[in-house]
Amino acid sequence: MDILTVNNVSKNYSGHKALDNVSLSVPQGKIYGLLGPNGAGKTTLIRIINHITAPDSGSVIFDGHPLTQDDVANIGYLPEERGLYKKMKVGDQAVFFARLKGLSKAEATKQLKTWFERLEISSWWNRRVEELSKGMAQKVQFIVTVLHEPKLLIFDEPFSGFDPINANLLRDEIIRLKNNGATVIFSTHNMSSVEEICDNITLINKGRNILTGNVEDLRREFTRGRYSLVFSGNPDELTSALAPMLETWSVEPATYDRQQLNLLLKPDASLRQLISVANEKTELAAVNEAMASMNDIFIEAVKSSDAQ
Amino acid sequence: MNSKTAIIIRREYLERVSKKSFIITTILMPVFMLALMALPALIAMFSESESRQILVIDKTGVIAPKLENTKTLTFSATDLTVDSARKVETADAVLVIPANTLSGEATMQMFSSGPSSMEVESEITNQVDNIVEQYKLKEYNIADLDNIIKSIHSDVKIQSLRNDEESSESSTMLSYMLGLGLTFFLYMALLLYGQMVMTSIIEEKNNRVLEIVVSSVRPTQLMLGKIVGIGLVAVTQIVIWGALLASMSAFVMPALIPADVTADIAALNAGTTSAESLSTDIEIVQALSVLGNVAYIIELFALLLAFLIGGFLFYAAIFAAIGSAVDNIQDASQLQSVVVIPIILGIILATTSISDPSSQLAVWSSFIPFTSPMVMMARIPFGIPAWEIAVSLVVLYASFLGAVWVAAKIYRVGIFMYGKKPSVKDLVHWINYK
Repeated sequence: MDILTVNNVSKNYSGHKALDNVSLSVPQGKIYGLLGPNGAGKTTLIRIINHITAPDSGSVIFDGHPLTQDDVANIGYLPEERGLYKKMKVGDQAVFFARLKGLSKAEATKQLKTWFERLEISSWWNRRVEELSKGMAQKVQFIVTVLHEPKLLIFDEPFSGFDPINANLLRDEIIRLKNNGATVIFSTHNMSSVEEICDNITLINKGRNILTGNVEDLRREFTRGRYSLVFSGNPDELTSALAPMLETWSVEPATYDRQQLNLLLKPDASLRQLISVANEKTELAAVNEAMASMNDIFIEAVKSSDAQ
Repeated sequence: MNSKTAIIIRREYLERVSKKSFIITTILMPVFMLALMALPALIAMFSESESRQILVIDKTGVIAPKLENTKTLTFSATDLTVDSARKVETADAVLVIPANTLSGEATMQMFSSGPSSMEVESEITNQVDNIVEQYKLKEYNIADLDNIIKSIHSDVKIQSLRNDEESSESSTMLSYMLGLGLTFFLYMALLLYGQMVMTSIIEEKNNRVLEIVVSSVRPTQLMLGKIVGIGLVAVTQIVIWGALLASMSAFVMPALIPADVTADIAALNAGTTSAESLSTDIEIVQALSVLGNVAYIIELFALLLAFLIGGFLFYAAIFAAIGSAVDNIQDASQLQSVVVIPIILGIILATTSISDPSSQLAVWSSFIPFTSPMVMMARIPFGIPAWEIAVSLVVLYASFLGAVWVAAKIYRVGIFMYGKKPSVKDLVHWINYK
């Protein structure tokens, strides 16, 4: 079942199309990646899902009914640009935000204490926010976002500003929330984290949905024509000979004196042709079909949509 | 919706009221104001000792002996020439009275070491004018002149009584002072608290806490919560000031007023006296009698609060819209003129209304919400019909609703706009966004 469905949503800002007929469905209990270049319209879409702005046309269905202001109690949103009231104490502030989400003061305090203990920040309770580092403040913001146990969580670049240890801690918390039944929309430019935790993605470019699907399926689909050659010889000679057949390529060092050429074949070129040319120029050690990374998919999809 | 707005209001209010700076200004402000009022008297007390020596070279031979010494001036006639008189070191100034002075048209000269003051000059010309007038009168050889002059001396005052109202007493001087004071207080409060709303919104926008808040509440709720929260801070502060001033006027003022004046006030209030039997200046007695009238003070205070709250809500909504549209205070200054100009216009109209509280201009500008709080506060001490106050309040509060409606539309777009400095035209454009 889908917890969230966006139907043909469009939004204009003084003649600029921020969103152009975007549709997507977020299945319940999954982690859904919302990807796209800067200025693609992700934030606008997230604001519409959060009922902060209204779409010019189209509709948003949340949990089986049209989205209303009351639904924000079941949504937790961690914006990319985020801040806290600097002069307020950490604990008071967390209680304030929890109450805005509809928790009672006692309930909020109780839950917050548990969270603060789990993320090992209990000693911050009575400190002012201005005394915290950026990463510390972001832990507090994360707790505030998830505290009211929303059905839908939206994280916009949640890992930015975190060191690798805390980023891992946070990732584990996100996966734990998912295992407890929450649905997560995850917006980021960090493609390796998408491969790691996302089940499905939608890629938005220039306000339009240009690619939607399951991460595994997409990677397999985009793998077509993607190979890696392990060879010993002169890489420049090889690539210049192969260039007419290739869409994109890169060379990286492999084992011993060997090197690896990662490539994407042009649609009209064949693997047999590739191998025979490569064989003439170098000594081939291995030819493998390469799994497309989310990075590859992102770049390829955006480029081809820009070309249209 | 109400509970969330209430949570916002609570935070906005408590954040400010629990600040040290709030507590300090609230308690120190009245003390500071009193000190400011007492300052001129204190300065006069300590600067009395200095008396200026003035050498007088009198070519008429009539005026110099009649010049009277005052607290600050000591005159002494001399036969020295101007040049040698100027060299006398003990003298602060040399006054030369030309021979034709008795004609009444002459120009005297004063050589002063250091700058001469307006006060000294007017004291001297007044004395000389009087002496010349007396001298000329004497030349008519009228018998018993001194007594005649005494008997024709006039010092008329006016006691204004209202025939259209129950309370017959009214003091124009006091109304004037009160009107001016209340208007300026309102002006300061509107600007100060209005700008507090604006800067607080800019701050929220700048440190991006706003992005988190609006994921839980509607932008309009946040804006309203902020306006009401800061409004309550204003009311708290003013009520505390009012209470401090009231207790001062109740306990401190009676102790300061001399007994005979107190008797006059009592007599005036009882209606058993008329102006000529009073031993003190009628204006002062009336003023003190009004200020001691607790019911009147409370009524005035209540109206002040009503107009202050209405004016604050109205202007704060506009300030909020401006704050939402810009990224920093510098960018706000230009847009702010939209609010500051009407407020200043209000104070100008208010000061003219004080001179003529029932003029057409005064009446109309006390109905227009941009100027009504200030102009009304200037007119109320003069005693105006209740319906005018009622209409003005209704218009003001209705305009507040309109202003909030428009401001909310600008606000919910403005808070997400970063970078470009918007113009008034942009703001108008935003109102039409869906």
